[in-house]
Amino acid sequence: MTTTLPTAPTGPGHPQPFTGTRTLGEPGQIDAEGVCAWFGGRLVLETVNLTMEQSKVTALIGPSGCGKSTFLRILNRMHEVVPGAQLAGSVKLDGVDIYGPGQRAMETRRHIGMVFQKPNPFPAMTIAENVLAGLKFSRSTPGDKDDLVQEALTKAGLWNEVKDRLGELGGALSGGQQQRLCIARSLAVRPRVLLMDEPCSALDPTSTLRIEQTIKEIADEVTVVIVTHNMQQAQRVSDYCAFFLAAENQPGRVIEAGRTEMIFGEPTDQRTFDYVNGQFG
Amino acid sequence: MIADGTTQSAPEGVLVTTTSASTQSAPVHEPRPPGPPPSGEFPESPAPPRPRRLPSPIRPGAFGAEDATILVGAAVSALCLVWIVFYQLTSLSGGLGFLICWYLAFLGLTWLGTAQVIERQVATDRVVAVVVVSAAALVIGIIIFIVAWVTYKAVPTIHWAALFTKDQKSFQLAESNALDHVGILHAVIGTFEQVLLAVAIGVPFAVATAIYLNEVRGFGSRTVRTVVTAMSGTPSVVAGVFIYSMLILTHVISYSGFAASLALVVILLPSVTRVVEEVLRVVPSGLREASQALGAPEWRTVWSVVLPTARSGVVTAVLLGIARIVGETAPLLFTAVGSQVLNLNPLSGDQGALPLVIWSDVRQPNAVLIDLAFQAAFVLMAFVLILFVLARIFSRPKGKGGKGRARPEEDDLMARFFVPIPIEESESR
Repeated sequence: MTTTLPTAPTGPGHPQPFTGTRTLGEPGQIDAEGVCAWFGGRLVLETVNLTMEQSKVTALIGPSGCGKSTFLRILNRMHEVVPGAQLAGSVKLDGVDIYGPGQRAMETRRHIGMVFQKPNPFPAMTIAENVLAGLKFSRSTPGDKDDLVQEALTKAGLWNEVKDRLGELGGALSGGQQQRLCIARSLAVRPRVLLMDEPCSALDPTSTLRIEQTIKEIADEVTVVIVTHNMQQAQRVSDYCAFFLAAENQPGRVIEAGRTEMIFGEPTDQRTFDYVNGQFG
Repeated sequence: MIADGTTQSAPEGVLVTTTSASTQSAPVHEPRPPGPPPSGEFPESPAPPRPRRLPSPIRPGAFGAEDATILVGAAVSALCLVWIVFYQLTSLSGGLGFLICWYLAFLGLTWLGTAQVIERQVATDRVVAVVVVSAAALVIGIIIFIVAWVTYKAVPTIHWAALFTKDQKSFQLAESNALDHVGILHAVIGTFEQVLLAVAIGVPFAVATAIYLNEVRGFGSRTVRTVVTAMSGTPSVVAGVFIYSMLILTHVISYSGFAASLALVVILLPSVTRVVEEVLRVVPSGLREASQALGAPEWRTVWSVVLPTARSGVVTAVLLGIARIVGETAPLLFTAVGSQVLNLNPLSGDQGALPLVIWSDVRQPNAVLIDLAFQAAFVLMAFVLILFVLARIFSRPKGKGGKGRARPEEDDLMARFFVPIPIEESESR
């Protein structure tokens, strides 16, 4: 069951690097099949089967320590960065297992971007350089850098605020602006999926609303998976919802997943009902 | 439970009746206007709040005329007491012993005086404060004395025009031994070339080692860190002997400035490595994650994110490293040997250096050479001071328009490294 990274190829697939087979910028669909995760031999996530639909926003909700963030990090191979981390199962981006042989983690992460909880623009780079950082790292040269900077910042809803000071350092922005800069930075490499790990938990309500607006706007261009502790936020932004829960001394599991209206309106599981109605614990 | 509740409710009821009785007695003071309760604690007109008067606080940091009087009194009476005991009652002698006895008596009398006039707790505090302040004053005083003394010995005899344009050739040829014909150009050039070579060779290795220790965390990094730490304690003369025996005696290279810079690398490497490692450690790990999540390979993360973020810290580390090696004398004795004449080529032949000029000239039975040695010491000191000031400037966080968010971690780090700078310290006081 336990396999060291990367996992062996699963299924009758014909694993081929997805470079070239699809163009960047098309929203992708992620299928997680039987995903389990370990940290140092301790099972933290058990048999997660979840499909994140193309061009939709999927919210992962649940209490702390139930494996949401771990699952999110598995989706773009950031899980394996942690020492002692192991996993089983497969994660398919448009049918291609990202843990399959011949798949490189760096390449995968360009297709599946990530925005973190704490805004983390590169402090030594200007705003424009931050946006272009991903391209610099992958050594690909965009047609027109200025256009790309404008496009990415516009999508992230930051262009009007920073268009006159693109040469300033990224650290000079406010927290909410920094987070939108991080979103723009992720969008600039034209990912097919954007993972967001509690992107608003360090921000004030106004900035949070701006980010949520941004998420809605970009959803038709990129599939979004968002981890959030905020029930209202999950309701506001997501099309689909997955409820994670870990019982005491048990690994995290998906209790229920489905359309957001269903999860919040008429959940089938009592635990889901309790959680979304704030009767948890 | 119920029984408990009832028994508890009974006294409450009693209490209520008493309070109601007191409220019933209130109509006695009926003439008062309705409104705020007629109580001394609540004044009827809303007066502006006054600062509450605290009982006179004990503030050990406060220092007034009274305290100064006690200190001066203690100092003078300690002087008298120790003089009587030292020279009149006993037949002791010696300035240092007198000073130590005076200081101890001063502390004791300070305590006694403060305890009498103010309070015992304050007295203990005051004595500790005196010890701390005098220790700091001693250290700062010694350094100021060294700087002032070297300046006093050097500056009046300097011939600026000759100092940086001439070497000691004319002295060697006995053409003229006046100070306007000799200088330390050969030593300045020698030191410059040796340090530059040492930095060029050492810093890339040091940065690479620090990256290995902090970013790669590869095999044996713990051992490497221990070795680096141990290396930083290597006596510099050993570094010189190492290069001398390994490279010069085996005829790999000859006596030269280059050999000297190799010896300096041995000293530079561990100190720069340790500082750079500290600087890299304070780069937030979120930046590395962000970089990886954008699809950057690890070398890219280090090169494009970690090192630029830590740039000012790395520059500071290099400047501190230069300050560390520029005054090293022992390793140069075996390697550059020293020279009276200018040798521009660091790769062959004996070469002068500022520390070597000081070392050799100050022992000569010649006033001109002794003056020259002090001038070299002055130049060396000024150079180190300039390096520290530069390091201080570079360590400041910068952002355009001053709006750049400061990097507090780095500030803290630099504060830690800059504690030993006496001049900056005394300025800030």
